[in-house]
Amino acid sequence: MRINYHLATIAFRQLQNRKRQTFLTLLGISVGVMVLITAVSLMDGLLQSFIQKIVDIAPHVIVSGERVTPPVPDQLIVSGNGNRVDFIKNVSRERQDVIKNYPRVESLIRNDSLVELVTPLVSMDVIGMFGTISQPVQLFGIVPSTEDEIEKFSRSMVSGSFDALGRTPDGIILGTSVAKDFTARVGDRMRIVSQSGDIYSVRVVGIFRTGINDIDDNCYVNMRLGQIIGGFSPDEASDLYIRVNDLPKDGTVARTIERETNYRAITWEQKAASVVALFKMISGIVYFLVFFVIMVAGFGVANILITNVLEKARDIAILKSLGFKRGEITIIYMAQGLIVALVGAAIGCVLGFILIEIMSSIPMASSSQSFVSSNHLMMGKNPMYFVLASLFAVLVSLVAAVGPSRNAARVNPVEILRGER
Amino acid sequence: MNDEAIIRVEHVRKELAIKNGGEEIVSVILPDISFDIKRGDFAAITGPSGSGKTTLLYLMGGLDRPTSGSVFLDGQEISALTEEELAEMRNRKLGFVYQFHFLLPEFNALENVMMPMLARGRFSMSEARTRAAELLSRLGLSDKLHNKPNQLSGGQQQRVAIARALANNPGVLLADEPTGNLDSKSAETIYRLFSELNSESGQTIVVVTHDEHFAAETKRILHILDGQLSIDRTLR
Repeated sequence: MRINYHLATIAFRQLQNRKRQTFLTLLGISVGVMVLITAVSLMDGLLQSFIQKIVDIAPHVIVSGERVTPPVPDQLIVSGNGNRVDFIKNVSRERQDVIKNYPRVESLIRNDSLVELVTPLVSMDVIGMFGTISQPVQLFGIVPSTEDEIEKFSRSMVSGSFDALGRTPDGIILGTSVAKDFTARVGDRMRIVSQSGDIYSVRVVGIFRTGINDIDDNCYVNMRLGQIIGGFSPDEASDLYIRVNDLPKDGTVARTIERETNYRAITWEQKAASVVALFKMISGIVYFLVFFVIMVAGFGVANILITNVLEKARDIAILKSLGFKRGEITIIYMAQGLIVALVGAAIGCVLGFILIEIMSSIPMASSSQSFVSSNHLMMGKNPMYFVLASLFAVLVSLVAAVGPSRNAARVNPVEILRGER
Repeated sequence: MNDEAIIRVEHVRKELAIKNGGEEIVSVILPDISFDIKRGDFAAITGPSGSGKTTLLYLMGGLDRPTSGSVFLDGQEISALTEEELAEMRNRKLGFVYQFHFLLPEFNALENVMMPMLARGRFSMSEARTRAAELLSRLGLSDKLHNKPNQLSGGQQQRVAIARALANNPGVLLADEPTGNLDSKSAETIYRLFSELNSESGQTIVVVTHDEHFAAETKRILHILDGQLSIDRTLR
């Protein structure tokens, strides 16, 4: 198509002639684009930093004692009245599913080249006692060296040291919430009452704070002590935490493990699904609101075009009498919409960029200061925000321009030229 | 000069439907009118207000369509053309001058005259510029090329409008009360200009006018009364 410079020039000069209204329309689009970019950046930044946090300190895959396929009964008897009885051998007391002979399972998993790290742990509910205070806590038995590679406790210590746990067979590390409840400090001795009623004396060697309440409510002891307190055999673990070296492949790793070991393996995405979904829902609401800001900008575009078309009816009539076709008249006013949208979007992108920079430099007291190095707002930075916001503004403006442009094309020159008399 | 009809109006009838409250009143502007305009003609259409002379001019210019009957331009029946074809034809074969200059206020004299040349892309930007400058100089505006319409006097504005009408070297120049809004001195200049265009370049001109004085300058007077051609007098 031949580029119609003269049409673009007409469009441009008409806008130039209405400086104030053009400026206000530009302002509307700019602000809309700016708000959209900033909102997307903010929401994306929050989600990204949340995911980063998880990726950083949470196991990528968790293998639990649950079997993928339930055990087949050893014997099945159907009685005369239709009732069915399953017989399973070696039934002991009711207890949680455990991974049996975990060192073998662990070495099997480690064979996968995608797996970077595996660490076993046992978990149990116990009663903690310190002085006159006693309350239930979640206790984990861990292998300190490998556990730290995954959950990075040594980064979150507020007193004592995580390494001390490895050197202290009866040591315990407390989450900050637990430590506060018990008013326990490093060096104190406290007691743990197991489910079977046995009492174990342990020594506090460290207190940590991750900022994640679920973790700060926990206590950690050595694997062996944990197994003893929880009544596990030395080759039993309740879970295996796995870190993979290529994160997007965590699903593959989980499926391989389930197939090879028959133990249930879930990925962090599955575990965090509800939180991610919540983030997405909040983002959806934010985008929906921002959508209206841009819609209002679109009304601005429609407004300036309607005014221009009304005011320029005489010029449109004359252009038609000079031999301009309907399509060309339409192009003039669509071009006005496009010009305003492009310039507005460009200004909006610059403003958005500046606003993102400013917002990401505002200091923010965060509950998770200790392991997120930055204590600023986490703003996402991605050129796509700018591209998408601009495209959206252009699209809305063009849609807004359609009506007025078609009205312009429908101007009947005879009516207008006669009306001047 | 040949006798070939460049415009032929054949039994043209024009009705206008006017909405008056709920009911529609059909008023007949032109009951039935026929005449020819020959190549090289300089004709004045005169008549009292409301006699239908402007309507007739618009019909001849393809801006409006007759209710019945036909208008031929260069042997082609224009009332049968589509709107797009009409636009093309107006651009190529016709030049319009109105009572008001109707120049685009955002553009200077030169750009206004270039506009019809650029409209259908038959001239490049530089050709259009050269030709527009020539036309404006011919009309005595060589020092006003870059003035915007509001920096020109009424007579100058009208001369720019005439230059614009001549831009594509049209077969016919149609003018609707071109001096109606001018003082007598400027009007005088415009009469002379039209006469010169006709006598020197053989430009066919049809002009609607109230102005007896102007009409007397032309070669032929078509007097319209109540939509009928009452007098068709060749002056010279």
